[in-house]
Amino acid sequence: MRVFIPLPYDRIMRFDLHIHSCLSPCASLEMSPQAIARRAREVGLDGIALCDHNSARNAPAFAEVCAQAGLAALHGMEIATSEEVHLTTLFDTVEAALLMSDWVYTALPERLNQPEVFGDQAVVNADDTINAFEPRMLSTPTRWRLCEVVAESHRRGGLCIAAHADRPSFSVHSQLGVLAGDEGFDALEWTIHANRNACRKQLGDWPGLRGSDAHTLEAIGTVWNEATLSAFSVQAIQDALKAGGVRLFPA
Amino acid sequence: MTLSDLLAACEATAVVAPDAQVSVSRAYTSDLLSDVMAHAPEESVLITIQNHLNTVAVATLVGCRAILICHGRAIPEEMAAAARSEQVAILTTPINQFEASNRIGSCLTTQGHARVHSVAV
Repeated sequence: MRVFIPLPYDRIMRFDLHIHSCLSPCASLEMSPQAIARRAREVGLDGIALCDHNSARNAPAFAEVCAQAGLAALHGMEIATSEEVHLTTLFDTVEAALLMSDWVYTALPERLNQPEVFGDQAVVNADDTINAFEPRMLSTPTRWRLCEVVAESHRRGGLCIAAHADRPSFSVHSQLGVLAGDEGFDALEWTIHANRNACRKQLGDWPGLRGSDAHTLEAIGTVWNEATLSAFSVQAIQDALKAGGVRLFPA
Repeated sequence: MTLSDLLAACEATAVVAPDAQVSVSRAYTSDLLSDVMAHAPEESVLITIQNHLNTVAVATLVGCRAILICHGRAIPEEMAAAARSEQVAILTTPINQFEASNRIGSCLTTQGHARVHSVAV
């Protein structure tokens, strides 16, 4: 099932590719797909992507809600590699995201979540009712190496982005110090705080994106990107990134 | 202390050892390479579990002479290849970073070298 909304003509789309839902233990329980979609519409976003930690189990509800709300959507997760670098990986379809999620689960430690310590991991339906609680501990690095995650994302037709590249924790910068330039990311994602000129020295020139990494509703719309896209798809975004056609807000 | 001293102190195995007589006079313990880049001293051994290619790049940048990968983590082939080309030693040990820091610290103190720089992560 392809769930993105085909655009009648090329137009400028405003999008944020890094939003967490209530499945992420560290995200607010208010982050239900309906609430996320409502907030995204309020702040004027046209396209959004769901990136929960190491799991795409809320992708089905998210896709349904976005389609109802007239929002374009991509589906994925934020994977913690064995180096403790966070990478987001995004797909056109819910099915592809769920298959990637299964691959990630094979490399999660055999530990159960402790909701009282780490927070709840709610798997929800499109009407915001809770379907289940994910028992596996999602707030932990997988055994997959960074290079394996990048390769697997691309093999399955997804985007792979180095999340919050400027952050002092769980980023390519904090964990790996420098980049060689051949890591294969489609882009580096910058937080609202990033000084991109300072980061360029250590990380090199990469296509960039702003990502809200929203764990609360208020964070949605604090940063975004704009590009002229023929569709809100992995291919169109990859093309725009390669062509330098993505504008970041704030710049 | 020499590479041979390090191997003996930490029950380590040499994966890449360009020169067994290379000597280290300091040590630094960290798993965050941004931190290593900012603080690790020259002529040191880096005690870490960060078994990534970039560990070699950062070690070369700051002048670390050896990398001790702790807790039995495997060395990826591209990391070993980079170390051979950069002439940086890579050792692996089953012991953890604390134990390795402790043992190396004792050796360096006995030999009158500078202190171990330790950073918790």
